[in-house]
Amino acid sequence: MKEAPDILLVDDNPADVGLTREVLAASAHHVNIHNVPDGEEAITFLRRLGKYTQAARPDLVVLDLNMPRKGGQAVLAEVKTDPQLRTIPIVVFTTSHAEKDITHSYELGANCYISKPGNLGDFFSAVQSIEEYWFGFTSLPH
Amino acid sequence: MSEAAALGRVEVNEVRAIVRFSALLVEDNLADSELVLRELRRGGFEVTCDVVQTADQFRQKLQTTTPDVVLADYNLGSWRGMEALEILRSAGLDIPLILVSGAVGDVTAVECIKQGATDYVLKDSLTRLPASVRRALQERKEREDRRHAEADLARKVEELARSNRDLEQFAYVASHDLQEPLRMVAAYTQLLGERYAGKLDENADKYIHYAMEGALRMQTLVQDLLAYSRVGRNRQRTLLACEGTVQEALQNLRTALQESGGIVHYDGLPTVTADRTQLVQLFQNLISNAIKFRGEKAPVITVSAARSAAEWVLAVSDNGIGIAPEHIGSIFVIFQRLHTRAEYPGNGVGLAICKKIVEQHGGRIWVESKAGEGASFKFTLPASPADGQMDHAQ
Repeated sequence: MKEAPDILLVDDNPADVGLTREVLAASAHHVNIHNVPDGEEAITFLRRLGKYTQAARPDLVVLDLNMPRKGGQAVLAEVKTDPQLRTIPIVVFTTSHAEKDITHSYELGANCYISKPGNLGDFFSAVQSIEEYWFGFTSLPH
Repeated sequence: MSEAAALGRVEVNEVRAIVRFSALLVEDNLADSELVLRELRRGGFEVTCDVVQTADQFRQKLQTTTPDVVLADYNLGSWRGMEALEILRSAGLDIPLILVSGAVGDVTAVECIKQGATDYVLKDSLTRLPASVRRALQERKEREDRRHAEADLARKVEELARSNRDLEQFAYVASHDLQEPLRMVAAYTQLLGERYAGKLDENADKYIHYAMEGALRMQTLVQDLLAYSRVGRNRQRTLLACEGTVQEALQNLRTALQESGGIVHYDGLPTVTADRTQLVQLFQNLISNAIKFRGEKAPVITVSAARSAAEWVLAVSDNGIGIAPEHIGSIFVIFQRLHTRAEYPGNGVGLAICKKIVEQHGGRIWVESKAGEGASFKFTLPASPADGQMDHAQ
């Protein structure tokens, strides 16, 4: 694993991005955080198009589902059918608890599905767990 | 619809007791027509009248006028008065038809009335005709009134169903969409509290504490409201043994049971057709209330059942604080609470959910209780046929 892993947060809610940054900034893994506000920009970022030609290839994508323009499931479908991108693990991190969202996300190839907890302590633990699991224990492809 | 319109073209003048109406005579004998009309006028009617002879004429006349009554001769040579009834029916017209005829056997008269003729009056007893017409007009008015009332009722039922659907949808969308901004408020006030506690001043700490408490309470309220509005969505009815669902509810409540030292007895519970998740929730809410509203003693809770005609009456009874009679009417209303949050925590959604679950299953729920003497929550569920067989086998 490289020194500082890159994580792409695909989320249109600055408040949630702020909370996630709070946790990641305090972590031992010195994560580089990138944030895009919708699915279309996520794809542009991952394919290094437009203003993202110099963008790093993220080691992990944390993906919200309900977003304007292109939603999270469309991003999942596109990334997981793209031979260049499909090895990047995607954690769905969303407010939805709906059974159909969970099932469909895994069908599309999500690596993990986590519902955003309402309580701050639980929210922090969830982000810490994501970070610890993917950057502490997991061996990721290069 | 105004009363005059409901009466159609029948105008009743009660003072002079004269009834105005329009008749269509189906008669091939002009002299007989005159007799009929004379009898009606003598009977206190003011009649507007058309006379037709053939089926074609009859059909044509109905295109342009709608008489209040059809008076048809039984035997019209080329056709019969009963055929006029068929023509009225196929045109979808509810116009009373009275057969007026020379001597015919009683059997035929009875047969005609069975087939839908309003009455059968013999030409040699025409004095009976006014009374017969009066009754026919009266009956038609009653039929019309009933039709209007039924249409009105059907419309109101449909309106009510639609308004209920809208309300359910509204509650669901509102509680679902409220969660998101609320989570932000709760998370950031919590963050503010954690990062800045003791760094501002005492008032600031207090304000943040109140804001946080309010946001957290609203979160549970919204979650409860969402749970309430979800009852009735995605239901799957299966044949269920109540004993298993009670056990599942007890499993979910084991911490509360251990802490309170409570005991739950259950025996002789039936098999019913119900949604599993909802039935577990129903038992869980009722047992959980019995634990929560316990008195000085450790809770002793009994779940029992009794068969009553086509339904089961299930009861969850406790030895808790009970409910004063003046409060019994309001406990199933959503967000109704009888105690402060400091005394007993909760939002007043649990029993409202119970009521909704029971009603979704075609049952009723009520409580029998006196203050200080425990409470017995009872609800009915329709007995399923398979269950009845089991009952006999036992």
